Amino acid sequence: MTSITSNPTDHDLIAEFKSGSMEAMEKIVGRYEDRIFTFGLKMCGHLQDAEDIAQETFLNAFRYLKDFREETKLKNWLFMIAARACMRKRRKKKCEPDHEISLDSFIHEDGSDGKYEIPDWSDDPSDNVMRAELKKIIDAAIQTLPHKYRLVFNLREIEGFNTKETTEILEISTQSVKTRLHRARLFMREEISKQYMEG
Amino acid sequence: MSPMKDECKKDFERMSEYLDGELHDDICREIENHLRHCPECRKCVDSLRKSIELSKKAGEEEITPDMRKHLRAALRDCFASEQS
Repeated sequence: MTSITSNPTDHDLIAEFKSGSMEAMEKIVGRYEDRIFTFGLKMCGHLQDAEDIAQETFLNAFRYLKDFREETKLKNWLFMIAARACMRKRRKKKCEPDHEISLDSFIHEDGSDGKYEIPDWSDDPSDNVMRAELKKIIDAAIQTLPHKYRLVFNLREIEGFNTKETTEILEISTQSVKTRLHRARLFMREEISKQYMEG
Repeated sequence: MSPMKDECKKDFERMSEYLDGELHDDICREIENHLRHCPECRKCVDSLRKSIELSKKAGEEEITPDMRKHLRAALRDCFASEQS
């Protein structure tokens, strides 16, 4: 077995894993654990659930990696597994069914889409308290998004996948991704503004 | 309730696609032309753009070494029990 180069590509690591390298497996976990963990945390809102999602994702990935034909990027494939793990966890918890977010709900009585006060994010580290407060508001708002909107929002906005990648990860249509993202963004804008003005 | 104007509603529905650069040039020009003349829609697009930027920045998580260690240990345990 050849040893792994200092900066292996995902393709190198997959090939090494297929030839039995445990080191390759460790490197794949190291490369993607933060992203998958973050995704689990944003989806479920609890550290323990995020850890369960990450575990399930990597366990399933390594169970099936031998058959992975690299028709998609490894990262996208891992997120496909993670998204399914989130959906399974939600089913197990017997959560309420998702409610739809309608566009009309954002149109106010005066016919406008409302007035919003959205704070700025400061890149200055000395604004730690303000940043922590804003982060709390954003995280709470994400948790109030209905599950199917949260999935799209987290993949597009937090993980930075484009529309096409998100359709592949969630196996839904382009139109569904666009519609859910737009409504999730309007919902987030309303929640952020409401929380910020109340605070 | 006074209804939203048709042109405003049309832009309101496709605002995310506009901000993501997913619309054709001619539609973008149409929207930009409307925005120049409609302060309400300008405010709408500005606040949406701002909240998107905020969500992206504030949405990042920092995974602590302890959390990472715990996940690795849990994965090792799972693999060990699967292989035994």
